[in-house]
Amino acid sequence: MIAVTGIGWLTRKEYGCLISKVNELHEGFDSLYSHFKHKSYFSCPVKNFGRFDAISKMTCFSTALALKDAGISYSVKHKQEIGIFGANEAGCLESNLNYFQDYIRSGRIIARGNLFVYTLPSIPLAEASIHFGLSGPLLHLFFNEKRISSLLSFAGDSIAGYETPSILAVNAEENDAICFVIKQEDDISPGKNIGLQNVIAAAEDTCTFDEMINAFKGIV
Amino acid sequence: MPSLKAVPVAFDMVTPYGWGTGSCWKGLLSGTSAIRRIDRFSTSLMQTNNAATVPDLKPTRDESLVMQMLTPLLGKIAPEIPSDTFVILATTTGEIEFLQRSVINKKHEAIKSRPDHLLNKIMLLAGTCGGGMVVSAACVSSSAAVSRAASMIRRKESDSILVVACDSVSEFVTAGFSSLMALDRHMAKPFDKNRCGLSLGEAAGFMLLMSEERAVREKREMLGEIAGWGLTNDANHITGPSKDGSGLSNAVLNAIKSAGISEKEIGSISAHGTGTLYNDSMEMKAIKKIFGNNPVPLYSVKGGTGHTMGAAGLLEIIIGFETLNKKIVPPTVNLRDTDREAEGWVFSESQSFESPVTLSTNSGFGGVNSALVLKKSEKIL
Repeated sequence: MIAVTGIGWLTRKEYGCLISKVNELHEGFDSLYSHFKHKSYFSCPVKNFGRFDAISKMTCFSTALALKDAGISYSVKHKQEIGIFGANEAGCLESNLNYFQDYIRSGRIIARGNLFVYTLPSIPLAEASIHFGLSGPLLHLFFNEKRISSLLSFAGDSIAGYETPSILAVNAEENDAICFVIKQEDDISPGKNIGLQNVIAAAEDTCTFDEMINAFKGIV
Repeated sequence: MPSLKAVPVAFDMVTPYGWGTGSCWKGLLSGTSAIRRIDRFSTSLMQTNNAATVPDLKPTRDESLVMQMLTPLLGKIAPEIPSDTFVILATTTGEIEFLQRSVINKKHEAIKSRPDHLLNKIMLLAGTCGGGMVVSAACVSSSAAVSRAASMIRRKESDSILVVACDSVSEFVTAGFSSLMALDRHMAKPFDKNRCGLSLGEAAGFMLLMSEERAVREKREMLGEIAGWGLTNDANHITGPSKDGSGLSNAVLNAIKSAGISEKEIGSISAHGTGTLYNDSMEMKAIKKIFGNNPVPLYSVKGGTGHTMGAAGLLEIIIGFETLNKKIVPPTVNLRDTDREAEGWVFSESQSFESPVTLSTNSGFGGVNSALVLKKSEKIL
């Protein structure tokens, strides 16, 4: 059966790992990278983290938490056949604006390549795949309704279709992010994993990010 | 083993060669390039003045370039699209003009550039109410979309799916690729010793896929089969491919396994072939990992059509089906002096082949790779 074996999430004030029941306050996104290194959520420095756009940073934070929650260690050198699928509300709209405003401000003379690369909505997922060594499929998706439950269903279907053995499903926005580790499991046991269908049902019944986290806490 | 076959029952496209699959096929076979001088924005400070643009498209305030391409294409086919069809849109920048204008004129219309807005317009044009989504994976976007459609059909999640792909040549994208120094000053020369970058292109197209069972029931003409697919990621570099080609070769192996065939059954290969130094070299390494020293006819369309970004995969899949029907692969346009790694594989003339199976590959920024196995329709065999 297909199960969720790790859920990592963060907001402007808190972060957590749902299955291992970690819930901590933090002092803001600016200091979170050093905090994550200190706590070993990042097992090695994230190359070029300082130049990442906001969505890439949130994707990496939530992925680190979800992998930790699932008990999956990683190394940049040893790649694992894990896919990464992402969906968010506005895609890369902010990064598109940042890049093009910068180009127009230059008098249409110089576009900056390091801003241009983030105008693809799949790039935050690619940044995470490079750091965490994820060599499975990588896709960014927009759904016209029920974003998180659709993303989870999509990931589950890809595993059921033998396209990859496990997938990280990420919803990263500028102010909050959540990442799920989804894989085929022999059984569902409380405290170890949650059936994917239960997670999908909980996601469908909620409207806000906080409501969703509380609903997931209720089914762990 | 596959439980249900995914078969295209209709497809068409507009490319820099003009309207219709036939004009693109004819253009590629002629060996002439559709890369021309850009006339819709100033290129004086760009790396090149050239791109493969669709003739007669003009930027207007009311309609984006991609909608100028999609409206006639989908308008013609709409009556044949069942209303319960699920729609998958593949694009990288979609209606980016809205964002460009909002920045230049300081107006608040950037939100209109979001691809979900374009998806809603497409569903309206196609007359569907079966739901939809947008797939974005850089230059692999539309081949990933076709893979996803075939997977949904195989798993009986849907039996009618419309894949729509589009991207246009814009100042936004041309300035960006210029900043990465990724463009050939003149024209892309895939697999040539003197290749030095890609040429941007634009295109739009659609493919209506059905389960074989539904296609038979509705007496649709089956134009081939999406027999297998594989998607992987290099997890290596944001803008450069993995130099040893291992990510792409794994995608090809997955596609072959998914199709339940042997690599020996593949008679030709549509390569991504952008014309950049690293991409083409990586691809030859990946292909040789699978096929060893047994060359099969391999070609790239991008010296002719330019790199049509999010639409590239679909354009190349459609051309792939044309090659199966005509039993020839087109010449690799602009190839003059074949790179040593590609010798014996890639030619400046068309090549014939007999097998009813072809392979189509794409790779993109972020290290994404896709491979699809296409089969000729058994009805035609």
